[in-house]
Amino acid sequence: MGTTAPAADRTAPPPEDGPVVDTRGLTKRFGDTVALDRLDLQVPRGCIFGYLGPNGAGKSTTIRLLLGLLRPTSGTAHVLGHDVVRERRRVHRLVGYLPGDVSIDPDLTARQYLDHLASLRGGVDPAVRDDLVERFDLDVNRRIGTLSHGNRQKVAIVQACMHEPELLVLDEPTQGLDPLVQRTFLDLLRATRDRGGTVFLSSHVLSEVEDVADVVAVVRDGRLVATTSVADLVERTRRRLVLTTHSPADLVALRATDGVRSAEPSDGGVEVVVEGSMAALFRLAAPWGIERVVADEVDLAGVFLHLYEGD
Amino acid sequence: MFRTTFGRSLYGMRHGLIGWSVGVALTVWVMAAIWPSMQSMNIDALLAQYPEPLKEAFNVADYGTGTGFLNGELFSIVLPAIFVVYGIGRGARLVAGEEQDGLLELVAVTPATRTSILVQKAAAMVVGVAVLGVVLWVAILLGSIAAGMDVGVVPAARASFLVSLLGAEFGAVAIAVGAASGRRSIALAVTGGLAVAAYLLYLVGQLVEGDRPYRWLSPVYQAIVDGPIGPSLPGLAVLMPLVALVAVGVAVPVFERRDLAGS
Repeated sequence: MGTTAPAADRTAPPPEDGPVVDTRGLTKRFGDTVALDRLDLQVPRGCIFGYLGPNGAGKSTTIRLLLGLLRPTSGTAHVLGHDVVRERRRVHRLVGYLPGDVSIDPDLTARQYLDHLASLRGGVDPAVRDDLVERFDLDVNRRIGTLSHGNRQKVAIVQACMHEPELLVLDEPTQGLDPLVQRTFLDLLRATRDRGGTVFLSSHVLSEVEDVADVVAVVRDGRLVATTSVADLVERTRRRLVLTTHSPADLVALRATDGVRSAEPSDGGVEVVVEGSMAALFRLAAPWGIERVVADEVDLAGVFLHLYEGD
Repeated sequence: MFRTTFGRSLYGMRHGLIGWSVGVALTVWVMAAIWPSMQSMNIDALLAQYPEPLKEAFNVADYGTGTGFLNGELFSIVLPAIFVVYGIGRGARLVAGEEQDGLLELVAVTPATRTSILVQKAAAMVVGVAVLGVVLWVAILLGSIAAGMDVGVVPAARASFLVSLLGAEFGAVAIAVGAASGRRSIALAVTGGLAVAAYLLYLVGQLVEGDRPYRWLSPVYQAIVDGPIGPSLPGLAVLMPLVALVAVGVAVPVFERRDLAGS
């Protein structure tokens, strides 16, 4: 190395192409429990990043480490180029956080609460905040204690977004949101991405992430299992459905079809497990006269186990 | 009001403060109401038969005057206890309690530092105790006028100030223990235990000749050694704010570094 590199300037923004989240060997133990085990995670800028895993996999621990709420047992984490331990304030300035289980001061009105958090941030653009309040149709003059769970969640969404953070961190965000609000919320995430921001979205439900995420990382038992595109993950996902047909289904033909992993008779129909695309299955079954298809929500633990074994 | 952690914390204390103020005022006025009948009973003659250490322990040496009566009846245990319990309760709630209720989380991810959050909450607790102290002072003056107790304006202010210092000291210790441990129950238990120990140290010091060299260590003694409705502020009283500052100062780096509980 013949050239002298300039001293790293902590105040400089991270390079535009650098990862927004960058962890190296990030580990967190609580006593004897390893909540997160040597996580190496890179989140690219300007995407919606799904962070998937069953309950207890270490998703919230990761998020709380990234936000400086927990200290790593070992390893490092950088958010937007800033070390989350040594430069916690810088990280806090740039990040918006929506916790999974929202606890908000019941004593204040939504307006008072948002004012309070805004002033702790040194002020926010009132136009941005008012726009969010309007978009989510939030009554800011009511005491938070009198709000429904869904409305409280709206307050939490507004506080997470009102300072237009470069990184939005969401821990299981759509639990308890009604479908209409959920759509507004997902639009908001896409808008955040489109203006160059990054969204880190954790969930244990695949369907919650597959519509909106660009890239997905899967964690299990505190370890990163895979980072992949949503399309790839869906392709590798097994779904169980019960098919009811007008004329009897041909089980042997079913089992020989692309993607079908098993086919068994069940009450008035056939129970089929399919991996990836269902196109071939429905082409085969169409002549039998499909009367009804009942599909289960994807069993994520099963998907992850499958992925885990696959690696 | 809602701009700072200080203002927000104070706002959250408003209802409790009203209740505690009413309680303090009523406590003082009940005693003031009893005073005329006590005076007519010639209580000093009765107390003359009591053993000297007991009289000293319960501060009843001078029941013939309004000042002595209040010092003995209210300031020897009831008012110090009220202020200490108020301080500990607020202190344990403001950091550890809010953390356990999940209310600290969204505040802790703003650029406001944890040090600033802790210090502002401690300041809010001190202001709460001070408000209670002012209420006490006014209640004593009104009671004194109504019952003819002849308690001086400045001595009453001194006494109110001293029990406020006592409450603020234990409140600060409770905030510090809560901030360091993250557990309200630990803050309550440790600080409550210290308060009982402080009172026992004071009491034993009054009763037993041999233990007197140590009683100055008791914050209770530091607060009420001279009355506390008395002619001057005891020099030892300076130890109360000092201990409070040290407690919060020790808690700051621990609070900055430790894991915060999730909601």
